[in-house]
Amino acid sequence: MNTEVQTTTPEAPKLGEAVRVLLAKPTHDCHDRGVRLVARKFRDAGFEVIFSNFLLPSEIINTAVEEDVQVIGVSTSAGGHMPVFEDLIAGLKENGLEDVILIGGGVIPADDEAVLKDWGVKAVFGPGTTAEDAIDLIRAEFGGPA
Amino acid sequence: MFDERTLAQSREMADKRDAAYDKIVERFGNSAPAAARDPRTHSGLPIKTAYFPHDVAGLDFGQIGAPGQYPFTRGNLAAQYQVMNWANQPVIGYGLPEDTRARMDLLSARGMTGYFGQKFYNLVYDLVSHEGLDPDHAGARGRVGQCGMAVYSKADMARLFDGMDLTKMNVVHITYYQVVPALAQYIAYAEERGVSPDQLRGNSMNWYHQSAYVGMSAFPPENGHRLAVELIAYCAKNMPRWNTTNLFGYGVEEAGGTAVQEIGLMLAYGIDLVRACVQAGLTADEALMRFGFQIAQANDFFEEICKIRALRRLWATTMHEKFGAEDPRAMHVRIHTHTSGACLTAQQPLVNLIRTTLHAFGAALSGVQAMEVSAYDEALSIPTEESATLALRVQQVIQEETNITRVSDPLAGSYFVESLTDQVAQAALELVDKVEAQGGYIAAQQNGWIRREIEDQAERWREEVNSGERRIVGMNCYQAEEAEKAPEIFRVDAEPERVSAERVRALRASRDAARYDKAIKNFLDAAHAFAAKDYHQLGDGELMEAAIEAARADATTGEMMGVMKEALGWRAPHEY
Repeated sequence: MNTEVQTTTPEAPKLGEAVRVLLAKPTHDCHDRGVRLVARKFRDAGFEVIFSNFLLPSEIINTAVEEDVQVIGVSTSAGGHMPVFEDLIAGLKENGLEDVILIGGGVIPADDEAVLKDWGVKAVFGPGTTAEDAIDLIRAEFGGPA
Repeated sequence: MFDERTLAQSREMADKRDAAYDKIVERFGNSAPAAARDPRTHSGLPIKTAYFPHDVAGLDFGQIGAPGQYPFTRGNLAAQYQVMNWANQPVIGYGLPEDTRARMDLLSARGMTGYFGQKFYNLVYDLVSHEGLDPDHAGARGRVGQCGMAVYSKADMARLFDGMDLTKMNVVHITYYQVVPALAQYIAYAEERGVSPDQLRGNSMNWYHQSAYVGMSAFPPENGHRLAVELIAYCAKNMPRWNTTNLFGYGVEEAGGTAVQEIGLMLAYGIDLVRACVQAGLTADEALMRFGFQIAQANDFFEEICKIRALRRLWATTMHEKFGAEDPRAMHVRIHTHTSGACLTAQQPLVNLIRTTLHAFGAALSGVQAMEVSAYDEALSIPTEESATLALRVQQVIQEETNITRVSDPLAGSYFVESLTDQVAQAALELVDKVEAQGGYIAAQQNGWIRREIEDQAERWREEVNSGERRIVGMNCYQAEEAEKAPEIFRVDAEPERVSAERVRALRASRDAARYDKAIKNFLDAAHAFAAKDYHQLGDGELMEAAIEAARADATTGEMMGVMKEALGWRAPHEY
């Protein structure tokens, strides 16, 4: 598991206050321009962001447990996302992490998006959405400055 | 370039015009667009609103030159498209090797032609191969045959190429970092067909440098650099017709970088690479002879054209002056244009056909050697048969109907184009100086500078789009009034996953186990030995020979990459 932990600014909220977000990208998906920008914007918004690559969904679960995150964002732009979300949702349940919010982003066809939402994925941020849209959603869930 | 009288006239006319221009802008007051007062290229370079002879009077005419003459600003050869069109190089690859072969044959039947009328196949491997896995690995689930072909062994090469004359075609192997296994498997397959490496034509990517700005897992920068040198040295000795290296400027712009960053970073990397090749005992001419460039053609029409002209000039002058390159072929920038995927939108996807046509038109005016035009549905899915054909038709319409192919470098001499070409070149050289001051490209990658610089530009782009300063039709202006009908999208079914996994298991069960064990052990030893070598010890061919023997023994991509990851290291690039 490859992780990179960083907070935006020295005056980021004290531990326990900042929303902790894990952003994950498949190791072989080179389309990381979007998710890296989202990581920057989340940090600017005061979230604590863990950015990671993953090969197996179980790695995301392990990091989510270790890092005690409240939000998991998976960015995928090269297909193969459905099995990842399927395994993730099962893994969250197994670990009693049902209250962790799962969001998706990247190139996810509309049909898949509908299925993912049925499965419990909170939102899918595809083309035409902004990092601010995702920030608003997370703040709506956990409070914080609008 | 101009006599004094012409220059005086030029200045006088410009003053008059500029005064009139200012008056017009004044009249618009605050409603005048910001670009009317402060016009800039998409890279942020300041430009003027009209150009005159005196704007190019300071340029050295020798730096512009003639098509086919050093420094090749105006093109590599005296003839551009008059006797031979640029090669149509759509990227092909999905599903099983048989599926990919069917798409190859289809596009070939529809007129896809390479250099000298030869068959030309630009083949992309799937996500599983890119990761260096086999299709029966847990991490392969849902990804077999996605975004590329499920080819993992010499046996799969046979499924892809049987019945074709390998000596009469070009095969571009679009891998990520599984460069060595893919080439080794192709060589081992060709051997079985009675074709020796020196008869093979095609390309390896050899583009480990992209881990500076692309996010997928990779070898450590130093080891990627050494692998690049090793392959160049191997091919210089054994595969004279093989194009060794693809400088991946495209990825810079796709990651959010500017045109200036794209060519500046490619030049900076080229300097580091040739420096290392020279250390390994190659001459600059030997090292440089078979380099290619994959360059983006994005939205700023003129800047993208000038970028290409500037790159040709900078590359030739740098390689000649710094490393003593003499052979024109070693100084040529052979460009495979890939029209920008990042410029395409999911909204109103058919509009992308207009964008890609403009991109391709600009590339044609710049005199590139080959082109892949993105399909209009790329922001949605893998291209359908229909969209892939239309993308090919874009090239064919420009080639056959516009008559622009009659004249080499038709924009040369435009005050604006020559001035901007020089401006882009100067800005790129400044970037190269910054990289060199850090100890070269690999050093600037290791300290994170390259990634940060590009991310800054990606953020700027997003801010401009969000604020509406940068307008994208259908996205932040002229949006569709009604909900859009979802276009038909292409899906790869699950069958390739099952079949591929079965095939790889069958291969492991049926191959000569003793030969495999010996070969893979030998490859591991060679990889460890390679990791311990200094640059001056590279180029002995031991790593490639060991890889080819492993491929002969039916080693799979996952097995061979497993060896290389173990010996050389493998992590997310932001961790190095």
